[in-house]
Amino acid sequence: MITTTTTPPTSTRRARWGFLFSLVTVLALTGNLAAGVLVAPTVVLLSDKNRTARLEINNPGTTPQEVTIAFAYGLPESDSIGNVRVALQNTNVTDPRSAMEWVKAFPRQMVIPPNGSQVIRFVVNPPKGLADGEYWARVVVRSKESEQTIPKPSEEGSITTKLNMIMQTAIMLKYRTGTLNSLVAITGSEAVKTDSTVVVTMDMENRGNVSYVGVLTCRLLDTNKKEISRTQTDLAVYRQLKRRMELPLNGVTSRCSVEVSLTTEGRTDLAPEDVIPGNKVFSTVEVDQGNR
Amino acid sequence: MRTFSLKKAGLCLMVMAGLATMTAPAANAQDVTTGSATATILAVLSVTATQALNFGNVYQGVAKTQDETSDANSGIFTITGAAAANISCYFQLPEFVALANGSDRMTITFSSTDATFSVLDAAAPSTPSAPGLGATLNTNPRNLTGTAIGAGGTSQIFLGGKVIPSVNQTAGAYSADIVLTVAYLGT
Repeated sequence: MITTTTTPPTSTRRARWGFLFSLVTVLALTGNLAAGVLVAPTVVLLSDKNRTARLEINNPGTTPQEVTIAFAYGLPESDSIGNVRVALQNTNVTDPRSAMEWVKAFPRQMVIPPNGSQVIRFVVNPPKGLADGEYWARVVVRSKESEQTIPKPSEEGSITTKLNMIMQTAIMLKYRTGTLNSLVAITGSEAVKTDSTVVVTMDMENRGNVSYVGVLTCRLLDTNKKEISRTQTDLAVYRQLKRRMELPLNGVTSRCSVEVSLTTEGRTDLAPEDVIPGNKVFSTVEVDQGNR
Repeated sequence: MRTFSLKKAGLCLMVMAGLATMTAPAANAQDVTTGSATATILAVLSVTATQALNFGNVYQGVAKTQDETSDANSGIFTITGAAAANISCYFQLPEFVALANGSDRMTITFSSTDATFSVLDAAAPSTPSAPGLGATLNTNPRNLTGTAIGAGGTSQIFLGGKVIPSVNQTAGAYSADIVLTVAYLGT
């Protein structure tokens, strides 16, 4: 499936400008104190047609930052109750979808002065005969103050400590080749009423050959299909994923149901041409009235 | 990567310059304007250490706890990115702090209640002592779950800990690394 370039709708552009304004405000308010770097974009995309990409690192702080670039492997994984996290693996990666071994970054070590920036370039050299689809790695941007000073004890014979705060951002890198197919299925779902909320858990499975990047929406409906509450989150399904969402009951005590939808449309944080359009999934879950 | 038009970038520069005028000393106005390179970027992720975890002076044989609710001494990390985006936050915490020459080391511990995760935005910044209603209090820094960037585009983590010097702990300055790794879950 081939993506096409489209002009973002006005609401999307507004959302982006809103985000930018918030970001600028944060940087303006914290810039004098903070030690860390800003990394963009949040996904690095390469393909068989475009084997190079770039990442920009900016130091908005007032002290030089020592930055290193490394590669790791890690997909969003969920535990048995639907909490999701990314566990990074640096060595012994055996997943055939890993691109870690055949992507390179230049430069990999640098010192970025205050208010300076550095472009990192990526080059991919994939092995021959790769199956169609997407291959993944994590770009780990590690930053710390380049001048680490340990405070001297203010009293003779006493002890002081200095904890160096090191920040890492793990950016997803994706290499796409051949015919791309974004397909997801909901393989299980459950909705349980608690005192003031309905807790929904959903099992999802990726059945395509690319990560399913989209939006998950849950609507809590009463018996007349009137919306009681709703919640929405961005998600990426690489293999299997369990997600847990909470919906406020807002005082409703009667029977209700949850309408679940999954779509690749509506992502305001990604450029439309970077999202592989996929299937839409709708599901309705009756709420178990028992307390948990 | 998408870029804004020159006209929009100019508007953004004016916004940034205005903010710099309001919030920073005059000498920093140029700095903020220079940072306009970030205005051409569609989405970003930033993790910053706003304040290092500080135990102050420590004495032989006397363990010292630094609570994550201390405004002056708790470790503060600020995460900036797309509003309401789910993120994964993972701490690598040391078991010891050591003298620079490696001749002695001191135990440092982090309990399962030594972190607070706050999602207030920059317009109403949270503090360790007042992390806000949406904060997850007394949580395990080694197992942060359900973390997301606040609606205003920022979140904060407050971190406490404890150092345990022995009775014959060598006097001097001890150090170690605390590593925080952040990743978007939705990309």
